[in-house]
Amino acid sequence: MSGAMSLGARIRRDRMLYLLLAPALAYFAVFHLVPIAGMVMAFQDYRIVGPSRFVGLKHFKLLFSSPSFAEVLRNTLVISSMKIILFFPLPIAFALMVNELRSRALRKFVQATAYLPHFLSWVVIAGVWIAFLSPSSGGMNKLRGLVGLAPLDYMTDKSSIRWVLFASETWRSLGWDSIIYLAALMRISPSLYESADLDGASALQKTWYITLPELRATMVTVFILNLGFFLNAGFDQVFNMMNDSVISVVDILDTYVYRIGLLNMQYSFSTAASLFKGAIGLILILGTHLASKRASGKGLW
Amino acid sequence: MRGAPSSPRDRLYRAAIGVFLVLVSIVVLVPILNLAALSLSAPERVPEVTGLTVLPKGFSLINYRVLAANPLFVRSILNSVFVTVVGTAINLLVSSMAAFALTRPSLPGKRLFMVLVIVVMVLEPGLVPEYLVVKRIGLMNSLWAVILYKAVNVYYLIILMRFFEEVPQSLVEAAVVDGAGYGTVLRRIMLPLATPALATLGLFYGVYHWNEYFRASIYVSDPEKYPLQLILRQFVVLDDTTTLIGSGAMLSYDEAARMSYAALKASTIVVAMLPVLIVYPLILKYYTKGVMEGGVKE
Repeated sequence: MSGAMSLGARIRRDRMLYLLLAPALAYFAVFHLVPIAGMVMAFQDYRIVGPSRFVGLKHFKLLFSSPSFAEVLRNTLVISSMKIILFFPLPIAFALMVNELRSRALRKFVQATAYLPHFLSWVVIAGVWIAFLSPSSGGMNKLRGLVGLAPLDYMTDKSSIRWVLFASETWRSLGWDSIIYLAALMRISPSLYESADLDGASALQKTWYITLPELRATMVTVFILNLGFFLNAGFDQVFNMMNDSVISVVDILDTYVYRIGLLNMQYSFSTAASLFKGAIGLILILGTHLASKRASGKGLW
Repeated sequence: MRGAPSSPRDRLYRAAIGVFLVLVSIVVLVPILNLAALSLSAPERVPEVTGLTVLPKGFSLINYRVLAANPLFVRSILNSVFVTVVGTAINLLVSSMAAFALTRPSLPGKRLFMVLVIVVMVLEPGLVPEYLVVKRIGLMNSLWAVILYKAVNVYYLIILMRFFEEVPQSLVEAAVVDGAGYGTVLRRIMLPLATPALATLGLFYGVYHWNEYFRASIYVSDPEKYPLQLILRQFVVLDDTTTLIGSGAMLSYDEAARMSYAALKASTIVVAMLPVLIVYPLILKYYTKGVMEGGVKE
């Protein structure tokens, strides 16, 4: 029906739709497109007054030769690997276990408690963990005391802090990240289990030979989706759990960009680091999108 | 899989799993309950509260009274409520209008707009350029910066679009034939049909705004305008006791001598998570139900 109308007439007919769309477009323009265009300052010496001077790759050269950047990149990769690779099987195991529960009440209780931390802010979570790990009054050191170990200040201990990040991430996301697997488990046909029952299979055998293979597609999808965000090692978490004693082992790209950019006001240099992260991130996300489309027919968009 | 008789070995296996999962729940709950217990304990018995205590020793609301008497703290709650309520209303309004427009099949330029949505989704603007934009449009030291920087979450926009797409096109066309404009169709047909989706997204947006602290920390410099999470960060994470306590003499000398900072910090944490705990049953009801019935989209 619209084919017969000229473009101008169609636009005039749909002017109400453009009006409805306008606020979102204005938002995208101001808070996304303008700042993305503004990233050109990575190639300039930014000046608050007067024109900025084009300096080519100067800031990138500085960045790549800076020892602190190498350290930050290493931290990002290590922390991300812990959170993506090491953490990966945990929600799967959790979902499988929840699936074995026969008591509805227990199942509901376990799920309700396990999803809860996902909705707490990282400030709250950091507060909870700082208190729990406190060397003087925290629960963790109380437990250490019970088995005869001396108290340890986990938050300021360089060899512990990354594990604190891993553990608190697990605490926050174990339950929530298992939802996607639980949903997949509910789609498995009961007839598969019924025939296994006839063959006298044990619960463990059914998990190994039926459930896990049925979950494979979901696992692949989750894993590659996570890879797309590999350079986001968790800004809010690190920002709230970091302190001067451990900064050298937990400083990640995003906290580095913040510190260099907004605290030290090295605008162009910081934006060069942002752009580096953004470019790698873009490649990862596009790669992820294509990989996910191939694996499951479902892309990111 | 249910009706089959289970062997003793299977029962043992399931019992072990049950015990383990209860342990997981305990690990989640104990650190939270411990802070609640500490915050509610009688001041003179606070030393008895260990890191594993989950019930208050004695009972006292002194920490909460101290917080309620602190103008900066009370102010920060109002700021957080403002950001949460106004922010969520703007989120829902702007995204439902846009989602409606973008799901009209005949909209000229639809493809171009969708490309824009994907660009927004995959390209993350740097922190400094965003900061400079906020500065240039005059939103520094204003809670509006905290609200507007996330006026639309593109992922949620797409969820809403999927929802609108499922509304039969014939419903819309029938209304248009009857002389209703698009605005009326959106208000009278689409929004009522999308209420469950809007409620779920509203909860997620709401929790997001309530938990927001970082944008406030870079855009808002006046402590009078701090949201609660930022006050919490100053006090608990950065251990800055002067911003909160130093403002307004709210403690008598006697009270100050009896107070425990740890207990006061615990109370601040409890207050900061309280609204989330209150809406949590609704989240469980709407969201997890939605996930279990349909596909997962975050």
